[in-house]
Amino acid sequence: MAAPVSVLRLPKGPDPNSRGFDPKSPRFIALCRTSISMSAASEADPEEQQREQHARTTLRERFLHCLLAMTNKKVQFHMYEKVKVEATFGASDIDMLHFQVSDLHTPIGVQKEALIRCHDVISLTFDA
Amino acid sequence: MQDAWSHLGPLQWIRFVNKQIKVTAGKDEERRGWLVTVDPVSASLVLVDFREDGKMSVDMVMGHAVEEVQVLQEADSETLDRLQNSLILPKTCSLDAEELRRRRAFLQTWIQKNRIPVEEEGEELRVAGVLTIRAPYRPDDCCSSNQIILDRIQKLIQNLN
Repeated sequence: MAAPVSVLRLPKGPDPNSRGFDPKSPRFIALCRTSISMSAASEADPEEQQREQHARTTLRERFLHCLLAMTNKKVQFHMYEKVKVEATFGASDIDMLHFQVSDLHTPIGVQKEALIRCHDVISLTFDA
Repeated sequence: MQDAWSHLGPLQWIRFVNKQIKVTAGKDEERRGWLVTVDPVSASLVLVDFREDGKMSVDMVMGHAVEEVQVLQEADSETLDRLQNSLILPKTCSLDAEELRRRRAFLQTWIQKNRIPVEEEGEELRVAGVLTIRAPYRPDDCCSSNQIILDRIQKLIQNLN
């Protein structure tokens, strides 16, 4: 098993709270909506709204179970620019904006703990 | 067309569940599998593939990267069964009514012995007016908005088993 490298501090980006994590930065606001809002049809009709909420709840509960099943498993992240990295999944935040992972294997070494931006990820794979 | 998938909404997404899906994401990346769920917050798809060795490979495709989603086929009853029983779905209760009633009564007595008020409400137990225990009455079946009581009751139930 590769030994973890000490944390590399890369040069800071242009923004004060840089690298796209600042929730007030224009990049963040443009790319990362916190949630998908209710459909227009549901806003008009309360029965439709109930059905939509029920579907939303079922889907979200299943999804949360999937996230739970993923914890502490080795996950392969497929990111943009043909980047493929492997890490042990820790957790996701509530809006699916960041993943917390451990033992991230990168071309420059193993990062013991890391935060991955969900917006940089295309897909991820693991074995259940 | 990029955001079309994200804007479909829960009522449309749920129609894709339990079907075999082909997703095109990012730049020409293709993923196939049985759709387990779509996250309503990020529109991310969760696909599973059953391998020969009996294990499952799970793919999560981020909603923002989805280009196109195509339905390939519906699940037959065997696949449906395998999907329902996979570890990644919430377990539905499979005990009969009599066993549930027995368990519920047993648990109610135990909680009362510990001097905590508990009432039976249909098939659920209501503890101190702030916590609900659903079938089959394991620590994971407790619901409450009060973290401290949740902790205490969960530990209590655990000591019983």
